[in-house]
Amino acid sequence: MQCKNLAVAVKLWALLCAIIGISLTSDTVLTCVLSVLGFAYLATQKNRRLLCSFGIFYIFLAALLYLIRFHNLHMVIFSEFYVLMFWNLSPVFIVAWDLITTPPGELSAFLSRIHMPTPIILGLLVMFRFFPTMKAELKSVVRSMRNRRLTALGQVLCHPAASCEYVIVPLLLRCLQIADQLSVSALARGADYPGVRGSYYGKALDWRDGLWFTLWTVGTAAFLLVGGVRL
Amino acid sequence: MEKSNKWTVRDVITTALLTVLLIAIQLVVNMVCMANDFVSMVLSVGFTMLLCAPVYFLMVSRVHKRFVSLAYMTILGLVFLAMGNWYLLPYYIVAGIICEIILWKNGWESKKKMTAAWTAASLLYNGVNLLPIWFFWDTYEAFARASGMEQSYIDSFVSYYTSPGWLVFIIVFTTACGFVGSLIGSGLIKKHFKKAGVL
Repeated sequence: MQCKNLAVAVKLWALLCAIIGISLTSDTVLTCVLSVLGFAYLATQKNRRLLCSFGIFYIFLAALLYLIRFHNLHMVIFSEFYVLMFWNLSPVFIVAWDLITTPPGELSAFLSRIHMPTPIILGLLVMFRFFPTMKAELKSVVRSMRNRRLTALGQVLCHPAASCEYVIVPLLLRCLQIADQLSVSALARGADYPGVRGSYYGKALDWRDGLWFTLWTVGTAAFLLVGGVRL
Repeated sequence: MEKSNKWTVRDVITTALLTVLLIAIQLVVNMVCMANDFVSMVLSVGFTMLLCAPVYFLMVSRVHKRFVSLAYMTILGLVFLAMGNWYLLPYYIVAGIICEIILWKNGWESKKKMTAAWTAASLLYNGVNLLPIWFFWDTYEAFARASGMEQSYIDSFVSYYTSPGWLVFIIVFTTACGFVGSLIGSGLIKKHFKKAGVL
């Protein structure tokens, strides 16, 4: 099913609310309220893939936190501190990942409409497209290494520095190539042109955007009111 | 020919791309190191600075202009701001300014200045672990207790940052890793990237 993206302005507002919420709260466990709001927000956008992956991760965290707090679980390889840290940061992860996976056309149209300087728009778009691009590049580097029999455990353990070099050098060279290709593409599409850019994908605000703008505002305010604020 | 100091589209894209790569490496190393308290608290920052040095060297050498380090540090600070540590944003901006001062006079052409800048950045990077404990102890302790840690466990967990011996070791280890990483970075630049004609 196709995602029904909310407007970029609402996504940015949701991110700001989540950051304010987790930064100011004095009750870190209660951040589940913001996470639940985040899951509902993903469900409204029919973003099932993100909903499932974050949902499974969050349930796992909840189970760990329950065992730590009520059954004195002490893990040998992962501190309780980090479990709560991930729990606390989950609302930001959910909302930020939803923003990052927004189609670049919608993002640039919005940023251009609010007169954001071109270098910042370009920088943000490159950052947001980084993860899918790098995933593909890393896969191709590992495939090449496997062809040359450089991924065997013995080889990696006996020559860790060389193995690091085999990964990092082609990856960096590819990064530079991508940067060049993106620059040419951006210039060809008028990145240096000072006017306001439009987009085929730019969308107007509708009632759903208004509703989620209000929900995030009220939800964060209520969360801070109930959970308390640390200054 | 005199090169202009004005940033081009290519500079912006290169800086953004390599900055995200640096931050991604830092986050991955930190997450892997979280498996063990000692590695996470004592060694992780050093490992991070060692692995990130070649990327930083490539970024500074490739863009060849001022404010690359400041841009990188500011973006890093913004990531920490998004994670709820607002005080790390001004801290990293100051760290970026210090790197810029070191690199101010064509530092991107000098291996020594780039090494000095990254070594200083490595030393200052310790702030990510030390600032919350030194200046926000109450918040840190409340968080640790809320996570289900007992007081004795919290004390042993943070003892690395409160005992002077461990503190000196962490600072020296991180700075040394940054320095060694810089040497590796400049070696890789000479061995691969200059030969490939991308610099």
